[in-house]
Amino acid sequence: MIRNLFKILRLATRDYLYEWQMSLCFVLGLAAVLGPLLVLFGLKFGIVGAMMDQLIEDPGNHEIRPVGSGHYDRAWLESVREQPEVAFLVPRTRSIAATIELASEHSSRIVSVELIASASGDPLLASDTPLPEGLTRVVISRRTADKLAVKPGDVLDGSLARRYRGQQERVHLDLTVAAVAPEQAFSRDGAFVSVQLLEALEDFRDGRAVPELDWRGTQADAERSYPGFRLYARSIHDVAGLRDAFADVGVDVHTRVAEIELVQRMDRNLTVIYWVIAGIGLVGVSLSLGASLWANVDRKRKQLSVLRLVGYRTRDIVWFPIVQALFTAILGWALALSIYFATARVINVMMAAQVEAGQQVCLLLEVHYAIALALTCGAAVIAAGLAGMRSARIEPSEGLREL
Amino acid sequence: MATGSGHYPIYLLHDVVKKREAKGVAFRLKVPSLRIDRGEKIALIGESGSGKSTLLDMLAFVLQPSAVGAFRFRPEEGEDALDLDASWQRGNLNILGDMRKRHIGYVMQTGGLLPYLSVHDNINLSRSVLGLRLDGTVEHLAEMLGIADQLKKRPDALSTGERQRVAIGRALAHRPAIVIADEPTASLDPYAAQNVMSLFLGLADEFNSTVILASHAWYHIKSLGLRRLAHRTTRSKGSKLTETVVSG
Repeated sequence: MIRNLFKILRLATRDYLYEWQMSLCFVLGLAAVLGPLLVLFGLKFGIVGAMMDQLIEDPGNHEIRPVGSGHYDRAWLESVREQPEVAFLVPRTRSIAATIELASEHSSRIVSVELIASASGDPLLASDTPLPEGLTRVVISRRTADKLAVKPGDVLDGSLARRYRGQQERVHLDLTVAAVAPEQAFSRDGAFVSVQLLEALEDFRDGRAVPELDWRGTQADAERSYPGFRLYARSIHDVAGLRDAFADVGVDVHTRVAEIELVQRMDRNLTVIYWVIAGIGLVGVSLSLGASLWANVDRKRKQLSVLRLVGYRTRDIVWFPIVQALFTAILGWALALSIYFATARVINVMMAAQVEAGQQVCLLLEVHYAIALALTCGAAVIAAGLAGMRSARIEPSEGLREL
Repeated sequence: MATGSGHYPIYLLHDVVKKREAKGVAFRLKVPSLRIDRGEKIALIGESGSGKSTLLDMLAFVLQPSAVGAFRFRPEEGEDALDLDASWQRGNLNILGDMRKRHIGYVMQTGGLLPYLSVHDNINLSRSVLGLRLDGTVEHLAEMLGIADQLKKRPDALSTGERQRVAIGRALAHRPAIVIADEPTASLDPYAAQNVMSLFLGLADEFNSTVILASHAWYHIKSLGLRRLAHRTTRSKGSKLTETVVSG
């Protein structure tokens, strides 16, 4: 009869409230074990999560650089670019030729900068940064922008020199600052420029003509070859595969595979350590909850016998300890959550300076709260149900005599 | 078979045996034959350990006998007698529970009140489980038992005597056919005991309930007009076995 079940639930609630001091002890006991466990899980999840994020987001970890210089033609580079694991690829010119001197009317300094081949999709530049393009628009590094006291939209004077037919020659060209790259993209003096501009500067230095800029010289070669390239893999998981593919065709490359594997191994080890601790904690929570609920049912055996004597059925009475166990589980979980929230807040505020903006050292998702609640309630119902069944099975007369 | 005007057997027992063993000492209760009629007031007298509680528990269906010749129960005149042994054999405790909650009130030696319920709700407990509405019975009982101004209190605010009266109120509140009382006044002083006992028997009369009462002393209830069950306890040499035979 559902009606009697409701009556039992009411009686269990009244008993729980009447014995509020005892109930509070059970709740505190549960929260004392569960709260620190949540903090521990939050730290593991937050720290390893941040580490993995950094690993995934840092473009340096996706980079594959050829060691030394080679001879790569356009067709071959094009075939590499088309591989699905490759996110970005631009050819590089000789690094000795990839420099330029920049001057600005806002500053008296002349800065010699390295030039970095770039194009749309460059992982070092934010996707909303205006791109370098053509022979006039460049993106300069933060350091260079500061030295020259320029901002996006300003025009720089670029100049470079060569010895041509025994004579020293210097040319100038106007370069517009399209954007300033952030500090972490390139920390030295540098400028992101189009491959077209790099080729023009190399041609000039090599004594070849650049008709677009009216620089005279010999005819350019029909087939251009590049000594290197900038390549970024689609994800850190593709780096090792690409490295092996390059090794197969005799291209020696430098990657951060070792560092990636180090962090991945650390994640795995931390996860193992965490689960060992969590396992111990979980057993601890279950045992502490189970022991206190079991003892509680034992303590209430007489009262449960009275309920049986006045005619409540065994299967209704079993709900009495279960309902009380659920109260303990839910209240203990809520208190543990408050402990977690308070602790996590303190930890995150303390560590805010050490991590990037938006990252949290201690972090849990809603699903984790739900899992914690489900596990706690499950353990509580099992412990109280077993104890309740045991005490319901004994002859009611045994319970009565102790009263 | 109804014999009319309340004189029909409510309990009919033949060759009921309960055996118990604890710490190497065996105990056996034998009931060769027992008949209790509707409206009777029965007294079961004996020192502690003589098996009074064992018999009461069997009559309240909270203890299963070890062996049964016949164990019939007919709460209302005109109804068929129930074979309770069959229910025990089948493990059908719910039928026994239903019988108990409808027809039996039980007064425990020390009250057995629920500490978290008020006096009113404790008395009403036996009614509430049957789904009976509040009809003033609880207040009437409290009035008769002299605890009308304690109804809102919790049991721990009452004296021992008052708690026993609450227990008596609870045993009677659902107007059961039978009230079983196991030494209901053992924890009271003689004067209070007399007082509570006569209140109890008076109310049982008013509610037309059969009373089965256990007590260790005959002298303080002999004036109350109860039928005393014949009862003989023997101890074997070395006290290895205690056997009690009850009949009536």
